[in-house]
Amino acid sequence: MDLNLKVNVIPALTYNKLQLNGSSINENGIDITSVGTPDPERLPQGVDIRTGVDTEEAESIFACYREKMLKADEGLPKPNGDQSYRNDNQSTRTGMGIEVDELLDKAGVRSDVYYVAEDVKIDEPLVLHYELSDGDGSLSRQIIHLKENSELTVVMFYESDEEAAGFQGVSTKVLVEKNAKLKLFKIQKLGNKFLHFDDFGGVVDDNGKVEIVQIELGAIKNWNGVHITLFGKEASFLDNTGYLCVGEQQYDMNYIAEHRGKKTVSDMYFRGVLEGSAQKVFRDTLDFKSGCSGAKGNEQEDTLLLTPEVVNRSMPIILCQEEDVDGTHGATIGQLSEDVLFYMNSRGIDDEEAKKLMVRARLESLVKMIPDGATAGKMQYFVQNMNA
Amino acid sequence: MEDNKNVVVDVDRSVYDIKDIETDQDFYREKEGLTEDIVRHVSEEKNDPEWMLEFRLKCLKIYNELKMPEWGPDIDGLDMDKIATYVRHKSDMKGNWEDVPEDIKNTFERLGIPQAERESLAGVGAQYDSELVYHNVKDEVAAQGVIYTDIESALRGEYADMIKEHFMKLVPPTNHKFAALHGAVWSGGSFVYVPKNVKVEIPLQSYFRLNAAGAGQFEHTLIIVDEGADLHFIEGCSAPKYNVANLHAGCVELFVAKNARLRYSTIENWSKNMYNLNTKRAIVEEGGVMEWVSGSFGSHTGYLYPMTILKGERSKMEYTGITFAGKGQNLDTGAKVVHQGADTTSVITTKSISKDGGIGTYRSSVVIQPTAKRAKASVSCDSLMLDSISRSDTVPGMDIRTNDADVGHEAKIGRISDEAVFYLMSRGLSEADARAMIVSGFADPVSKELPLEYAVEMNNLIKLEMSGNG
Repeated sequence: MDLNLKVNVIPALTYNKLQLNGSSINENGIDITSVGTPDPERLPQGVDIRTGVDTEEAESIFACYREKMLKADEGLPKPNGDQSYRNDNQSTRTGMGIEVDELLDKAGVRSDVYYVAEDVKIDEPLVLHYELSDGDGSLSRQIIHLKENSELTVVMFYESDEEAAGFQGVSTKVLVEKNAKLKLFKIQKLGNKFLHFDDFGGVVDDNGKVEIVQIELGAIKNWNGVHITLFGKEASFLDNTGYLCVGEQQYDMNYIAEHRGKKTVSDMYFRGVLEGSAQKVFRDTLDFKSGCSGAKGNEQEDTLLLTPEVVNRSMPIILCQEEDVDGTHGATIGQLSEDVLFYMNSRGIDDEEAKKLMVRARLESLVKMIPDGATAGKMQYFVQNMNA
Repeated sequence: MEDNKNVVVDVDRSVYDIKDIETDQDFYREKEGLTEDIVRHVSEEKNDPEWMLEFRLKCLKIYNELKMPEWGPDIDGLDMDKIATYVRHKSDMKGNWEDVPEDIKNTFERLGIPQAERESLAGVGAQYDSELVYHNVKDEVAAQGVIYTDIESALRGEYADMIKEHFMKLVPPTNHKFAALHGAVWSGGSFVYVPKNVKVEIPLQSYFRLNAAGAGQFEHTLIIVDEGADLHFIEGCSAPKYNVANLHAGCVELFVAKNARLRYSTIENWSKNMYNLNTKRAIVEEGGVMEWVSGSFGSHTGYLYPMTILKGERSKMEYTGITFAGKGQNLDTGAKVVHQGADTTSVITTKSISKDGGIGTYRSSVVIQPTAKRAKASVSCDSLMLDSISRSDTVPGMDIRTNDADVGHEAKIGRISDEAVFYLMSRGLSEADARAMIVSGFADPVSKELPLEYAVEMNNLIKLEMSGNG
């Protein structure tokens, strides 16, 4: 199949010359060899799985939230260059946007639903291991639904041989009800000729929590989108993303934290390294909607640039329609500071080794969070032996 | 009795809102709209050289080909078929204040321009609608070789080659639709040349007044600060309010030579029926310094992003700006910088305040090209929301194409903290006074960059907005 998608469009456009308003996926002759989510290696007790569900039916859980949000936005002034209307017809908004849903519909990809009932708290992680081979083309979509007071940890590990070529596209939508907690680990270590996209959208109700830890290492072209809607009072979102882009890798991101409930909290941290002639586009939006009084949003980007040919583009946006909020963005982009290098040198570590140490440190802090021993072991081995 | 300081109302603009009656006897008005005939007619009225007519017609073609921007404030209310692009008083430009027509003179007297000239300026240009009505520079400044004149005289006189070499070279008409519009119908504006190593100790000022209803003002400002020279240029603008749209699409081109310094300060207080679609750009050579100080208070709709190209090694740019968006206003402001030379530095500091349903947007672009080794860029933008019916958005972009750069970005949005208000109230201030003081403090980094009399005017504008005493 041919892919011609407009994705990762920012909620409010800016100068066209910056070419940061969105991204395109234009890839022809993609061969889809498998559809659906892999069976979990172990099914933790308490998780109910339904596979191959009609997507419209599966996504009906978002309908009441969607209606309330559209109604709440009626008549309010929009930001200049508003693009939110593009995704009005999504069951719940995702970071990459509606054209990913349309692609999955067109390819006939049905939904796999993971459901945890009320008051069920699951300690053991649900591990979804996507082992892909050279020439594979995979599309999948999951819905994770946590009922009130439930808890679940999910590890999604995308992996293939280092030299493998192929295509993988994943869509995940989550509904986290009152007082529920979802921890989601996404680790991508696909071959260096793979094309990969990973789209995410979620709604979090009162006092619900979503935590995402994401490690992006592989694929020649990689598109990620996250749109979390903090709908209920005191809902919260924590994101820790680490990435390493080397050679000719291209990484394109669009993260949106939409605050609707009172006293909602979002914290997003992005730590990455660019080397070779790698290119990265980072878009991040804190969107404080009318009514989210007491909300706090924080986003920090820290990017290490190791070689002269890298291209780093960033777009940290704050949209605000509420007086009583506290929003901050910070970005530090450049080489290792002279202070750090001096400290390392004074301890007998030369510049090259110091850079390697700092790159490893950025990824190791995230790898240590992975709850699944097998995945964590593989990643630790990789990080300790990588050349960057 | 109700404390009227709890009511936030629009600023008292009575001084700015005084209108002079436009009569056929005293004024020439081009017919409304934008056609080739109108462009030819404006050119004829202005006695343009042939190359300028050709340039205007080329710009008109580009204007008709370019699309409206999708990313900025809505400008559907601006109908070019209802805008007169050229309106002028039938009097010529004067070099002596006493010779300026009485009605125009009174307007500028009320705005305090002649007094400012006497007390604190090295020279003044006053534009009324489409043409300069007064231009003067102090003898001692002229004796240093400083040229400060209207751009039309320069275009036809001894500086014609210099104008032709620089005019719309920095802001080409292909840059955007309203740059092309400006190129087609530009009129008025100032030309400044500061010779090598001349330091102009006190500022020059141009004041732009758009009196006519349903008209546009398209002045062109061209400043060349030669090697080692130093200049502070101040731009002020205002207009009375009408119930029809007015348009300002000026263009400012600034050339800062090796080791020169230029400070360009603007207090924009257009009336709230104005579409302010202005373009400003500077290019800075080796060791040069460009400083922008910008206060945006007026206009219905604003697009304003002064851009600096740091071409030479060790060149520097600082932008300090404040935007106050009130009822009915959609002000989209910010700055752009392109680092080309090695060891270049840019610092952008902005403050934005939104109230009464106003929409304030900070928008910026920081580009570091591969040649800009060891470049340093720092952006800091703070926004303050005074109620929950307004909007405040921050849309910054960064494009970094070398690893040998150091880029920092900070953005904050928030409200007036209850703790700060409580502290000031515990020291005897009323709540409204406490809030006004906090907003003035928030704007302090901008006001301290302005000459004293302008800082006072800006602080008065903020106090009036906050207190409701206007």
